[in-house]
Amino acid sequence: MRAPRTIDLFAPADLPARNAPCPTVQPVAARSLSPRAIQPSRAPLWLGVHVPELSGEAQQGTPRSLLALAARAQRFTPRVSLAPPDGVLLEVRSSLHLFGGVEGLREALLGECAELKRTVALAFAPTPLAALVGARAERPFMVLDAAQLTGSLAPVPLTALRWPQESIERLACLGVRTIGQVLRLPRAGFAQRFGAMRLTDLDRLTGRANDPRERFEAPARFRRRRELSYESASHAQLAAALRPLLDELGGFLTARQCGVLALECLFWHRRHAPTRCELRLGEPQADAQRLVKLLDERLRTLVLPEPVRACELRAGLPVSRRLHSAGLWQPGERGGRAEASGVELIERLRVRLGDEAIETLELVPDHRPEAAWRRAAPGACAGAASAPPPQDGPGAQGARRKAPRPLWLLPAPRRLRQHDGLPRYRGALYLEGEPERIESGWWDGRDVARDYYNARDARGRRLWLYRERERPHRWFLHGVYG
Amino acid sequence: MNADSPRPGVAPSRPQADPRLERLLAHPALWRAGAATRAPVWPSGFASLDEGLPGGGWPRSGLIEILPARFGQGELQLMLPALAALTARPEARWCVWVKPPLQPFAPALATAGMVLARVLIVRATDRGRRPAALWAFEQALGSGACDSVLAWARHAPIRQLRRLQLAAQRGNALGVLFRPRESARENSPAMLRMALEPRRGGARVTLLKSRGGTLRALDLTWEAIRREPLEAS
Repeated sequence: MRAPRTIDLFAPADLPARNAPCPTVQPVAARSLSPRAIQPSRAPLWLGVHVPELSGEAQQGTPRSLLALAARAQRFTPRVSLAPPDGVLLEVRSSLHLFGGVEGLREALLGECAELKRTVALAFAPTPLAALVGARAERPFMVLDAAQLTGSLAPVPLTALRWPQESIERLACLGVRTIGQVLRLPRAGFAQRFGAMRLTDLDRLTGRANDPRERFEAPARFRRRRELSYESASHAQLAAALRPLLDELGGFLTARQCGVLALECLFWHRRHAPTRCELRLGEPQADAQRLVKLLDERLRTLVLPEPVRACELRAGLPVSRRLHSAGLWQPGERGGRAEASGVELIERLRVRLGDEAIETLELVPDHRPEAAWRRAAPGACAGAASAPPPQDGPGAQGARRKAPRPLWLLPAPRRLRQHDGLPRYRGALYLEGEPERIESGWWDGRDVARDYYNARDARGRRLWLYRERERPHRWFLHGVYG
Repeated sequence: MNADSPRPGVAPSRPQADPRLERLLAHPALWRAGAATRAPVWPSGFASLDEGLPGGGWPRSGLIEILPARFGQGELQLMLPALAALTARPEARWCVWVKPPLQPFAPALATAGMVLARVLIVRATDRGRRPAALWAFEQALGSGACDSVLAWARHAPIRQLRRLQLAAQRGNALGVLFRPRESARENSPAMLRMALEPRRGGARVTLLKSRGGTLRALDLTWEAIRREPLEAS
């Protein structure tokens, strides 16, 4: 799961500071753009949350429990940022008065974390990095005024900065073990020895450089319930009742430029357990009209045990959607591609007939007729397959064979009666041409050893028969030329 | 319409025609009965068949019916060259097979030149009152995502056929309905209806209904298939 993020537009721009070529010039550039100069209101106050349990885990992406914590933290402020793998940052200056000051907010947040069964360390600081470092320091850290920040950071060990181990060790060799000591080093020399990034870290820590943070946005799911004014079991009425919900869902998804891949409808009854009706889509979908159509088809096949009192729509997780632009040409015209309605058709057929009812065919390089093809799911996008695939793959070698093949294959070979050693199928059969021997498959247990014949029946149909090579030499019908 | 009347859709060739008459006939304000029914067509792949079909091929949109005496007498072979050419176009749409009676054999289709990635097979099982196969047939025809749709039906009420014909025109698709020979007695709104009898190495096609064309019998041989890429419309 990946949370969509946006850059926090309210954070002051830091481009001049970040792009400054020479670190020695940087403080001047940063000071001219200091947050206080830009923000007319009060300076920000960051609350750093450190979850020690997550620190050791070296895992890909953001841990799920951190996302849950960030989602809970949105109760306190809209400006929540993730600091993976084990930190969350909240900008709380404007929320302080709502929660009874720093102490009240702290208590409330600790309560939320207790509900999530997480022990956390909290720290308040005027810069986000200082709040994180303070929380990691595992001692009470609360700095509300920027003027006290440097002094309060001084005793914090350097390891809280999470610099590379090699830098920490080199600094330790110099006798530098705390943040206060490193802040006293000459700037130019420090940048030269340890890199400009380390100096930028220090500037961000003390508020000399701006530190923009990506804002966390919780992935929201759509869920609406509607009580019917009368109990109904009619599909048309249920579809009509769901329509406004779907319209709302369409608006919800459009605003986020997202689509859903799965929808679930619940129909609540008086006595029975609610009936579930699931809809799975081929591609992320946000078009309410199309959803209405698909759901309408699905409802027709739904069996309700009892009239419905209320219906509820639960959308799956919104996923980002590829936006299509309408083509200049009509589909099928010159230059027009097979368009997305190919997907729409497949979805509609699937909804009504079941997922397995729609398939396409693929060649398999095998000599046995029953193993020379397989069923495949149709391509997700009709346009993707519009270029004909090259026909010279391994499967096409069988196709290019000279021996004729029937257009129809029987689902299973059909045993034929015999008369004087010759097969009969609704009358006598006339064998034509030379037999073709197919002997293959000893390696996978479906060994065949057959002599295939073309035959013509009394009505002029061409059939494809085989005779088993082994005793008792039975005859089977396997294909029809059509 | 007797046999001497000019075949619609095919430019009448009369070497001794009066040039003044030709000029008059070329006038845009003049409508001729045959030309009025001319619709765009796909070549069938059989020269003798193209000659006998109105417009010179299978209609690009509309319903046609093929009535073989028995299943498997060459009715699919008859459609195959056109279907293969349709799927091989770069702008090809789906070629849908609704509830085929047996398993279409992929290697044979590939040998005939069909692009299998464009073939869609629908296995419809009836649920409820309305037959699922005819419903799927109509959906595919009207969707605009298909070049050709094939279906097999024993009984098809004329109201249903009318809906299919309209859906095919709406979706700009060629609908092919394979029905038993007995259905020839029933009425049908299809554009073309043809009976099929097997001949040695080919088939005899008898046109039972041909909108804008003449009714006649044509002999085909399977060897005489022309394979050429289709011109885009």
